[in-house]
Amino acid sequence: MVTTTPVMPASESLDPSAPPRPAANQRLFDSIPMRATPVTPARTVIDIQNLDFFYGAKQALFDVNLALEEKRVTAFIGPSGCGKSTLLRCLNRMNDLIDGTRIARGSIEIRGIDIHRRDVDPIELRKRVGMVFQKSNPFPKSIYENIVYGLRLQGVRDKTRLDEVVERSLKGAALWDEVKDRLHESGLGLSGGQQQRLCIARAIAVEPEVILMDEPCSALDPIATAKIEELIHDLKRDYTIVIVTHSMQQAARVSDKTAFFYMGKLVEYNDTRTIFMHPANAQTEAYVSGRFG
Amino acid sequence: MESTAPSTAEASFVITKARTRVFGLSWDEVIQFFFAGNAAVAVVVLALITIFLFREGADFFRLNSSQNLAVYREAGLEYVDIVRDQEKDHAALNRYLADVRLQALKYYRKQGLTYPEAAAKLAAFDDYAGRYSDAIEPIRSKISDWSDFVTAIKTKFGVRADQLAEREQLLAAGKTAEAAKVKIDVVDARKELQPVLDDRASYQEAAQQAAQQLTALARQLPEAPTPELQKRLQRFAELTRQYVATFPATEKKLETWDATKPIPFYVSVTSFLFGREWLTASFWQDWYGILPLLVGSLMVSAVALVLAVPLGVGAAVYVNQIARPFEQRWIKPVIEFISAFPSVVLGFFGIAVLGEALRKLSQVPWLSGLPGFPIAERLNALTAGCLLGLIAIPTIFTLAEDALNNVPRSFREASYALGASRLQTIVKITIPASLSGIISAVLLGFGRVIGETMVVLLCAGNRIAIPDFSAGLGAFVQPVHTMTGIIAQEMGEVVRGSIHYRALFMVGIVLFFLSLLINYAAQKIVRRYRISGG
Repeated sequence: MVTTTPVMPASESLDPSAPPRPAANQRLFDSIPMRATPVTPARTVIDIQNLDFFYGAKQALFDVNLALEEKRVTAFIGPSGCGKSTLLRCLNRMNDLIDGTRIARGSIEIRGIDIHRRDVDPIELRKRVGMVFQKSNPFPKSIYENIVYGLRLQGVRDKTRLDEVVERSLKGAALWDEVKDRLHESGLGLSGGQQQRLCIARAIAVEPEVILMDEPCSALDPIATAKIEELIHDLKRDYTIVIVTHSMQQAARVSDKTAFFYMGKLVEYNDTRTIFMHPANAQTEAYVSGRFG
Repeated sequence: MESTAPSTAEASFVITKARTRVFGLSWDEVIQFFFAGNAAVAVVVLALITIFLFREGADFFRLNSSQNLAVYREAGLEYVDIVRDQEKDHAALNRYLADVRLQALKYYRKQGLTYPEAAAKLAAFDDYAGRYSDAIEPIRSKISDWSDFVTAIKTKFGVRADQLAEREQLLAAGKTAEAAKVKIDVVDARKELQPVLDDRASYQEAAQQAAQQLTALARQLPEAPTPELQKRLQRFAELTRQYVATFPATEKKLETWDATKPIPFYVSVTSFLFGREWLTASFWQDWYGILPLLVGSLMVSAVALVLAVPLGVGAAVYVNQIARPFEQRWIKPVIEFISAFPSVVLGFFGIAVLGEALRKLSQVPWLSGLPGFPIAERLNALTAGCLLGLIAIPTIFTLAEDALNNVPRSFREASYALGASRLQTIVKITIPASLSGIISAVLLGFGRVIGETMVVLLCAGNRIAIPDFSAGLGAFVQPVHTMTGIIAQEMGEVVRGSIHYRALFMVGIVLFFLSLLINYAAQKIVRRYRISGG
């Protein structure tokens, strides 16, 4: 996110005039069990228009236009430094916490409300737009306290309600059976995959509409990754999910829609199947077939 | 060399190299020994200091019991002290009476009487108080007679001790002939003390007389202006009766007292650790009790921490969590700059400015409700504590800020992402996650404060007495003396090797262990913190 120089040297593979090689994509795509149901257009939840974003003097996003659909999993893919995480963090205004960041142009509307409007409280926004981070980050508290943290912030004191939420959230995050007997032990005592699912449980405990996931599996082993992916598939029924990932296989496995970013620009956004099998753009094609990135 | 020349293929593979050697060591080894040597010097110096401290202090308990306390008993000072205690209890009753008089005077003044009028109203009371005070005059005269006697015996013991020391010195210098010439007095304490012991009958007579008078006085109480004061006088009569009832016990003590009973060794230890008096170069008896010094040190530290913990931790939270980069750049160096003040300058400031300012402040009428206000002494535990607080702030601030800095950013982000405000995140996540680091910062601040010398020596008032805790928090505006202060003040004047000298070393050892304990606890807590920080 620091440099504007291309991540890879300009080469003929990025040349738009180069002939596409669908065969390579086909092979990649066939090796992955596709879960994405054929995508029918759904209602737009998040509407990003003409977004320009700066870290200090350095522009990180250029004129991004994107409409994210309700109860779908949208994957952001692209090489390191392409702005996908930055865009994700714009969606719940986490970038506000970083000094010198600003949106120069454009807007992000969630359910028709511009989230940068003066009367929008970022704290209320974050209750509606939850987030799961790259590195699992349970608080140094018990499992129970981790999950009820958001509710306690909202002033919920009722013990039976909290107990209910803990059970429902842990079940929702497919963690209940593993931890139900040790709810009051430290969340830091769990394995990496369990910790990440605890973080997901913590995020869904406050019943957001949208869950943002910033490379949630990058620190996990394949088995834990498979569990999280399974979970994402289940969560889709109730939540709109946006996931940033470096793994193209993961994007293909879990997402319905995929957006490909390169150097701060949205290159292509379409159904996942289309992006992987018939990308319209040569850069996209080069990236998903593994020729750079 | 030629004969063992390897084949050409091997010759091209050169991996040996001639090395410069210093005293048979390669450069690597020289550098390694240099660093190891530095570490070793530090460890050895620390060990030497500890050994020196213990060697000098170790003999204190033996000397204290075999000389100081033994003479106290053999010369009969202990015997006289039994009666002196009796007199002290009477003095306490006198003070009770004086306090009632003060209340009565205040009452009259409030009624609008002028000072002479009020005094006139209290004439009968004063007459009573005078008679009450004189009631134990017979006992007082006994104390005075006996005191002269026993101090004379004690002086003889002192002379003998000097003679012994002189001979020891001469022997050590190898002057055997001169050493043999030194006359050593023989002190037959038992014989010398006999007249005092035989005088017990006349004491009994005096005590009886006093008891009669006091009993009589308890029955004829003076008038008091209010029912409440009347009640206090009733209580006074009751206390007097109780006091008189202790007379037989005192007589019994005198009867069973035995000058020849040896002093057990543990008394020397307990009289140091739990002794409530630190009294040196006294005409009567020297006491080396650490309690007043320990209490003084702890009180001053308590004041310092009460000030420095909220300020230091609060500033750390602000700078680390809330301040803008511009503020951070300024506040941090400024707070850390405080530690650049030499403590003697702070002490000077305390005497010249702060002590007087606090006293002025305490005289503001609407503050007079605070405990201990208005302040009587300019230099006291509060003045010294305020300055020590200033000294502790940079320590606590820097370490607490480090602890806060060590809280992973991801904790904060997770908290914000769940809809927490900045304040909620600080209170519920950042501070709890760094709590053990903050606690150890406070402990190290405490260690810094309790070892500080110059400020307390200049500003604590240096009165060697346990403050009067009946004044509640007001005890904190009384002058105190501290462990560090007493060492700095008295070490220059004591005779090397004397009991007093060794007592000061014992104080140093206690201080050493206290610091050790604090540092150890701080390290333990930090270690736990590292694990929980994960």
